This record gives sequence, C-alpha cells and structure tokens, in this order.
Amino acid sequence: MGVENPAEQAQVLLRTRLCNPDFIFTIFSHSPDSNYSKLKYIMSSSVTEACNNSALLLGPRGCGKIAILEMVIKDLLQEYPDTICVIKLNGLLHSEDNCALKEIARQLCIENQLVFSKMASFDDNSQFVIAMLRECGLAHKTIIFVLDEFDLFTQGKQRLLYSLLDAMQSVTSQAVVVGVSCRLDADQLLEKRVRSRFSHRKLLFLPPSQEDLQKILQHALLLPTESGLPSQYVAAYNKKLLNTLSDEKFKDIIESLCHSDSTYNHLLRFLFAAVCHMDTKSGYLSLDNFKTALSSIQRQPKLEALQDCSILELYILVCLRRLEVKELETTNFNSAMKEYKSVHDSFQTSDYYAWNVCLRAFEHLLQRQLISLVDNRGHSQSVEFRPVRLLISSHELHQGLKSYRSCPAILHKLLDRGV
Amino acid sequence: MNEEQNPQTPRRTTRASLSSTPNPKSCKAKLKLCNKQPLTINDLAYGDESISLDDLISSLPGRRSQISELLRLLGPLDSPMFPVFVYGGASTGKTSTILQIFKHLKRPFVYCSCITCYSPRILFESMLNQLLLHRRNESNRYSSTKRCERPSDFVNFLKEALCNVVDSLKGNMVKSSSKKSSGWARGKMVYLVFDNLELAREWDKSSNILPFLFNLNDILKMPEVGLVFLSNASPDTYYSDTGYVEPVPVYFPDYTEDELRQILMKKQENLKLYSSFLEVVLRPFCRVTRRVDELSTAFSTLYQIYCEPLDDLGIVPSEDMKRKLFTHLQPHIGPSLNETFKVENRLSSEASAKTNKWKGIAKKNGVCESPSEIDFHMSACAKYLLICAFLASRNPATLDASLFDSTGGSNNRKRKRKSSEKSKEKKENAEQELLLKGPGTFPLERLLAIFQCIVSVSECLPDEEAQGDGGLEGESWTNGLLSDVLLELSSLCNANFISKCGSCPLEGANRYRSMVSEAMALKVARSLKFPLAKYLYRG
Repeated sequence: MGVENPAEQAQVLLRTRLCNPDFIFTIFSHSPDSNYSKLKYIMSSSVTEACNNSALLLGPRGCGKIAILEMVIKDLLQEYPDTICVIKLNGLLHSEDNCALKEIARQLCIENQLVFSKMASFDDNSQFVIAMLRECGLAHKTIIFVLDEFDLFTQGKQRLLYSLLDAMQSVTSQAVVVGVSCRLDADQLLEKRVRSRFSHRKLLFLPPSQEDLQKILQHALLLPTESGLPSQYVAAYNKKLLNTLSDEKFKDIIESLCHSDSTYNHLLRFLFAAVCHMDTKSGYLSLDNFKTALSSIQRQPKLEALQDCSILELYILVCLRRLEVKELETTNFNSAMKEYKSVHDSFQTSDYYAWNVCLRAFEHLLQRQLISLVDNRGHSQSVEFRPVRLLISSHELHQGLKSYRSCPAILHKLLDRGV
Repeated sequence: MNEEQNPQTPRRTTRASLSSTPNPKSCKAKLKLCNKQPLTINDLAYGDESISLDDLISSLPGRRSQISELLRLLGPLDSPMFPVFVYGGASTGKTSTILQIFKHLKRPFVYCSCITCYSPRILFESMLNQLLLHRRNESNRYSSTKRCERPSDFVNFLKEALCNVVDSLKGNMVKSSSKKSSGWARGKMVYLVFDNLELAREWDKSSNILPFLFNLNDILKMPEVGLVFLSNASPDTYYSDTGYVEPVPVYFPDYTEDELRQILMKKQENLKLYSSFLEVVLRPFCRVTRRVDELSTAFSTLYQIYCEPLDDLGIVPSEDMKRKLFTHLQPHIGPSLNETFKVENRLSSEASAKTNKWKGIAKKNGVCESPSEIDFHMSACAKYLLICAFLASRNPATLDASLFDSTGGSNNRKRKRKSSEKSKEKKENAEQELLLKGPGTFPLERLLAIFQCIVSVSECLPDEEAQGDGGLEGESWTNGLLSDVLLELSSLCNANFISKCGSCPLEGANRYRSMVSEAMALKVARSLKFPLAKYLYRG
C-alpha cells in the first residue's frame, strides 16, 4: 500500500520517528555540556575505574530523562560489551521491597543464564543479589540499576534502597544506581541511613529552550534524503516545511502550545497529532494541520461538559451557583431543589420537573464531574442529603451558558442576579 | 452502536460478549460448546467480512468527525501510535465506534472493560487470556492461563505474550502475501483497548493502577502496541500525585437533537409514523436529557400509546391523522416527562400490558396520581419495622416517651401549638436542617422499643382485626420472638431500606438509618392501615 503513495510512506516514517524517543533525543548527544555527556561521564567512569556510583535524574515529566539514560546505556553497551549488566525497575511496579528484589533476581538470572526460582524467599533473593554483586565486582562487571519513578521506592521502610546502597559501600562491588524521578525533592525523601550512603549527584532535566525547540522541530519533521522516498517529493516537502516553520503564525501556535506545557512530550504529542492530520493526497504538512492539532490537543473539558448538559441540568447548576453565592455552610440536592422551586415560583418557568427527574439530572451532573460530593465518607446517607460543591467557577459557568446553543434567557438572568 | 441499532436489547450483554471474544464466530462456537477449535491469532480481529468506510459512518450517525479523527490517529497499517484517550458522556457511542472501527480496519485488538473486569487481577488475566488465545471452558475448569495479581507480573507476562502475538502476526503476513486470505487479521500491530476506565479510579485509592496503565506505553516500549483508553470522565478528572504521560485526547460530544432523531429512527418499521411521533416528543424530552439509552426506554412506552388508536401500524399518517394522534398523546407527555425513565420488568409488563392499557386511559389529563399499593411483597412484620425505622429517623428521640405512651399517642393531639413569630422561625430552621441533614440515626434498642409500642397499639385498634392474619402474627411478635424481628431487620438492611452506619464512638453499638422517603413510608403505612401521620413530629 505504502509503496505506491510516497506521502503515506512519509507519514508512517514520521509517526515511527515521533513514537521513538531514542531518535528524537539523539540531537542532544553531541553537545559537551548536555546532560547526556554528564551522565555518560559518571557511568563510564564507574565502568572503567571499577568504582561504585549513584545519581539522580530529576525533572518534570516528559523531559526525556529516561530517553537520555537509555541512550547512554546503549552507547556504553556498545563501547564495553560483556562488562555491563542492566537491571531496570519501575516504582509503579516494584515499589514493594519483596517484589523488587524478586524482579532484580529474575533479571540477573536472565542476564547471566541462570535458572530463576519463583519460590525463592525474600531472604534467598537478597542473599543472591548480594552474592551476585560481589561476583560481578570480582569479574569487573558493572551492574547498572535503573530505578524509574524513584520517589515511589522511598515509600515504606526503604529496605531495598538501603540494601542496594549498603552493598555498594564495599570495595569489591561495582555498581551504579540511577534514580529517575519527576519529584525535585526526591533525595529529601530518603531516610537518613540511606541518604548518607547516597552520592548526592543530581542531574536536572528542564523543558527545552527556544533553540532546542527549533532544532527538535526540524530534526523530527524533515524527511531524510537517503530513505526510499522519491527525492523530488522529499525536496518539495522539506522546502514547504521549512517555509511553514518560519511562518509567524506557526510561531504563535508553538508559543500558545508552550504556554500550557512546554515539555518535550507535549510537543511530540502535538507533532504526532499534526502528522496524523496530514493530507495524504497533497502529501505536505500545512499550517492548518498544526492548527487543528493544537485545538485537538488543548481541550477544555469542563466547558465541553457544560455544552453536553441538558437544560434541566443547567438549571440545577445555576441553582447551586446561587446557593454558593448565598454562602450557606453546606449545599445538597435538597437545598438546590428548594432554590429550584423558588425560582419556579417567582418566574413561572416552563422547565419545572418532578423531584425524581431532577435527582436523575443531578446524578448526571455528578457523573460529568461538574459537581462532586464533598466527602466520600458518609456512604450511609443517600445522595440527596450528602453535601456537594460545584467544580466549575462562575466564570466558566457564564462562558458555558453564553456558548450554549439554545440557553433560556432566564438562566443568564438568574445567574447575574445571584452574583 | 448496539444500543442505537436496537434500543431494546440490553447493552451490557452485547458488550460483555464482545469483550470476551471479539470474534462473533468464536462466540457462536462457545455457545455450542461442541466444536472447540483452538483459537488462532486471527481471532483477535473481526473475522467476518469487513465493513466499508461509508457503512461505518452511516451506521453511527453524528459520529463522522470522531471516526475520521480516530482513523487518523490509528493511522495507516503498521504505523506506531501514541496512546489515545477517548472520552465523552455516557451513551455517546464511544465503545461501539471503537469496535466498529476495528471491524472496519480488521486489525487485531484486545478489548477489556473495567465494568466486567472489576479488579486489577481480573483485568490483567482477561487481557492475557485473550492474548494467549486461551478460552476458559469446562475442560480447564474456567481458569485463566496465568495467575497474576501484581502489575509487575502482568508486565512480564504481557511483554512475553505480545512478543509472541507480534511474531505470529508477522509470520501471518508472510503467508497471507503468498495466498490472499480475507479472514486474516491485518498488520502486525496489536491494540489494547481499555473501556470504562473511570471505574478504575475507584478500585483502590492507594494503588497506582491508573498511572501504571497510562504509563504502560513507556513501560512496554513496544512500537507494535497501540493503547486506546475509553472513559466517560474527562482527562482532567484523573488526578495523580506526580502526574502521568497524558494520552492524545479525542472527545465525543453528546448527540444533538438532529443526531438523536437519526439514531432513534434506525430500526423502526414505520419511518413516517415514527418521525411524526418524534416531532412531538423529542424536543421536550431533550430539555431533560439527551442520553440515547434513557430516551429510547422512555419513547418505547410512549410510542405504544401513540399507536393505540391505529389499527394498521404500517399506515402513512396524513396531516389530519397526525393531529389526531397528537391530541391522543398530549396528555401523556407531561406525566412521562416527570417520571424517571425506568426499564420495566419484561415479564410483568407483558402480563399487565392489558391492564396498563386501561389504566393509561383511565389516567385523565395528566394528573399522575401515585398508585396507592406498593408494588412489592413484604411481610407485615417488615412493614412495621420499616415504619418504625422511619419514625425513629425522623422524630427526635426525646419525643418518643410522649408519642408512644400507654394511651398509644392517639389522644396526643393536644400538644401545645402556639404559632408565635419566633416558633415559626424555629420551625423553618428545623425544616431547613432536616433538608440538609437527612434522616437521623438511631440505636437498635430505640427501634425495637418503638416497634413494641406500635405493635401493641395496632393490636388495640379495632380496625386491625379486619386484617385477619396480620393480627395473629402481631401477637406472636409481642410474645418475644425477637429473632424473627432481627432477621427481618437484617433483610431490610440488605435491601437498603435501612442502612447500617458507623457505630457510635461512645456506646459502640451499631446505629441505623432509614433510607425510605416519606411518600414511600406513607404508602406502606396505608397498606397496613396504620395512622403514620399522627406519629410524625413536624417542627
């Protein structure tokens, strides 16, 4: 299929690139003061000089911590084959000590072609790991422990971290522990006994600067000339793309994208959406593609939910808002119904429905998460008595009512008079 | 969408059958239970002939832009993708759109809903079962292939299973290129679809199952795997301490009135007649709700009423006829707007179809009086208990002595009633408080005391004799058969008429709360001929 249409082929290529962080972050491997070189220096020194090391990679989610680390490990594996053994743990999966040790033992067994016993106890596993550390140290083999979501390992007694770092205090072992976390205070979460054994090397990963952004854009989107694509098409595509990238409107789009979230991941997601919207007939990325991608990435769920509400649900929301203005201590369904009734009594609206219908609408609002129950404890009470609060601001409610297609005028009036 | 195509079929079952086996063929095989062909890799995709894009769009009215966006995000064959997060209100066609799209694309996928897979373990095992082409049946005692409870085990198994699937899909491609086979799954990508993700938020507050699922793409690091999440809660309602990698959002808005019309018109026999019916009812109902499932149940009964005067249902209505039908229907619209759209029990509705008809006609001019009888069976003892609980929840405990003294409260009418300004205000405040607080709690002893009082009083009342067996039973309760009463109480608790709530920190005993509304309590009291209103303390 792709063979006939170069545009489709190009699209697959671009998608593959964007989904592959290894490709995206290769551009940072060359500059000398990048995190890549620093990390590589730390880790290779441990391999060559047979010493123990530990480091923390900190930074917001989606700034390429793991991607850079993977690249470093890949390079090291190429440079020093057979002397490195990588153990990867994830705090989301292995935050429990028992489970983590088991996983370490399992991965060590796989690496060294040993038979892993599922039945091994915690004690067996920890002895095995320590023995392996010593053996590897004697054989001058470095074990690299990668602990993703490092902050989750600090829950509980931190036995795993302690035993790992404690084993690394001896001269015989040769290991590197790299923690990756999006909490900048991750090292403060460590216990004293663990912290004292930890080398306080921290690498900070930040969202990209303007120049980095431009570099990434070109790096990710420009088509290579030496791929199987027809060179004519590639040249035309690249020329058009460079035109778009230098466009002022495009810069505005990127700026508004970075206002909400300026991390690499967000950018990549945006580019992915843009590539998905690429017109395969013409085969070029146009400014419109980026525009639609921006609007599909940046959503306003609360306003969307307001547009989905029925008129009755809007009435209840407005009533709740009026109660909020009155500053009562608690509001619940029954007090909202009282307000609803008084509104009906004074204005004779056409939308006056029975109690149970309103309760149903109220439950819909709960489901849409426009309102929420204040506490989750009082499960013994039925819904109509449990206190609720609005999850949207009055500004959002105003805006939502304004853009609602056939909003009754009375609702605007009620809302304004309340405020 | 299944619920759109035929609103009558309950949608849970259709989704459940889809979830266990995406392939209708194998579903049939499962029903027969006699031909147990082992599942093949091709069973991960829809086996029968694929539907064209036009059919896809026309089968899901109002979802054209969503379909095209999803198709774009899924991309051409064998192209990797970012995780996609599909969200939108209930009953907006998220699940069916995704399933139909995979039917159209004929790509292999695995579907798991957090409704049927109600715990992490079941979710993991069901996903693995499907990937490992394992069918739970008698011979393996309905067990799963792998037992895994922890996400860590799941990831290991999943990686292994996915690698196998992807490998065999690649092998498949080599073979299928040599001889064209239409029933085979296309491509070497596998898609994992998680439905009703919003339920996973409630599973376990401490567990990090949601961040895990959202990060699954990064954990697996397999470009051949695509993740699709379906949820009826918007992405901003998924909180987590340290955040997660956000998926690409796709939004399904609620249907507009026109789209609703198109959906409801599907599968109708007499289109002209139904459209004239919809013209009358759709607009007022849309002001209350725009959910397809609720509307279709409400309309099914209304349409029956609409068609009542017609002998021939195949008729094309003229303007005159429409007007006549409208005047026939009009008195019913108001009351049915004020009813919650309940799904009627099929059996009883069939049995009482005729009586319903008469009742419907008897109900004049839309004043829907609540039927005086309660529509479920309950022993007299349980009814009394229900009333007692209601009284105990409503009345302040300090009044019990004066209400239930030996004279039985009947001549308690002479309670002081002065209506000064102050007391009126007080009364209003108390009412307000009751609205906010809801029914109060009470200890078991108080309930039993009230029960004793009421039963002894109702025995003294002369009209209670008319009830025959009720009176006899009443004697036996007072004779101290407390265990029966406790049994009834526990069954009332189970039926959620009375709820147990946290024990009192001082006394330590359990406290109870009545969950029935006043209207309901009055109804029950009426069935016992018990003067409930007399005992209710108001303000």
